[in-house]
Amino acid sequence: MKYSYIKPRKKSVLTQEFQLLITFFTITILMLFMTYSFLLYKNYAFEKDKAVRENNIVQLQKSLEIMKHDISFIETQKALSEKVYTQNTVLKDSISNLFDLVPSRITLSEAKLLKNGLILYGITPSKDVYNFMLHAPLRSIFNKTYSSFYPAENGWFRFVSTNYVDDEELSVED
Amino acid sequence: MVLIPTGQEYRVKRLELKKTLKEYHKYSNFHDETAEKLKDMQGTNRHIIDAFDATFNPKRFEQQHKKFFTSLHISKISYDGVENGFAIYEVNTTSFLNSPKSFYDFLDAVNKTDWVVGVRFPIDFKRDAEMIKSSFTMKVYANNKDKNLTASVSLAK
Repeated sequence: MKYSYIKPRKKSVLTQEFQLLITFFTITILMLFMTYSFLLYKNYAFEKDKAVRENNIVQLQKSLEIMKHDISFIETQKALSEKVYTQNTVLKDSISNLFDLVPSRITLSEAKLLKNGLILYGITPSKDVYNFMLHAPLRSIFNKTYSSFYPAENGWFRFVSTNYVDDEELSVED
Repeated sequence: MVLIPTGQEYRVKRLELKKTLKEYHKYSNFHDETAEKLKDMQGTNRHIIDAFDATFNPKRFEQQHKKFFTSLHISKISYDGVENGFAIYEVNTTSFLNSPKSFYDFLDAVNKTDWVVGVRFPIDFKRDAEMIKSSFTMKVYANNKDKNLTASVSLAK
């Protein structure tokens, strides 16, 4: 016996609406999970990159320290070498001036150049020639000047001239 | 609930990385500038750097400078201490020369030699027949690591 004129249709739990809903939620959860995974990966990558860069900075700092030391060392070498070269040049000029100072009538047999003085040995035709032509300029250069004479065989005089500058002047020059 | 703190962490870490990168670039640029400066200095001062590095060789010195003298004799090399961090070696020298001009030329040449050499007092010039006998001390400056100098006696005529 029939109670209805229509044919009953099959009913399922997974209705079309429900399937749509499930699909929507699945996609949403999947997207959220992918976003979360992306963020986790990026956080890890940032951390790693930061650690690498920090390590690079430490290496650069070390390298900079070494280079700064090298630059400073070269500057010290340059300063010292220039000082030495200047002293050589000054020495050359001093010796040149010394020999220019000696007049042609006086003959030197020995010259000792000291750090603080000069000792000259030589022969002069007379004491006056020595006093006017050599002793006077020496006295203008040195603070203390001593001279002694010995008669030579030909009537000339052998002399020893000892000249010193004060230590204070030397320390100022240094 | 999990996404929000992770997102915040992402922003913070990205900012930190930016700061670190900025600092890294700053150091990197400064490093490059300093390296360039060092390279320039090494190029400009090559002769001085090599001179301080070189071990003093008396025979070679004589070979290079005997042209200024009739004879040149380096008699003693001794360690003389340290000045400004550099080792100093003392070299006693005796020589014969024709005129003071030769000694001036020698002093000019010493400034261009392979070592950093300073001529020091006392300097003695003595007439010997038609020649001038000179004796003087030279100081050789070298990097302090250089302890290889050995005393040697040589004669160049």
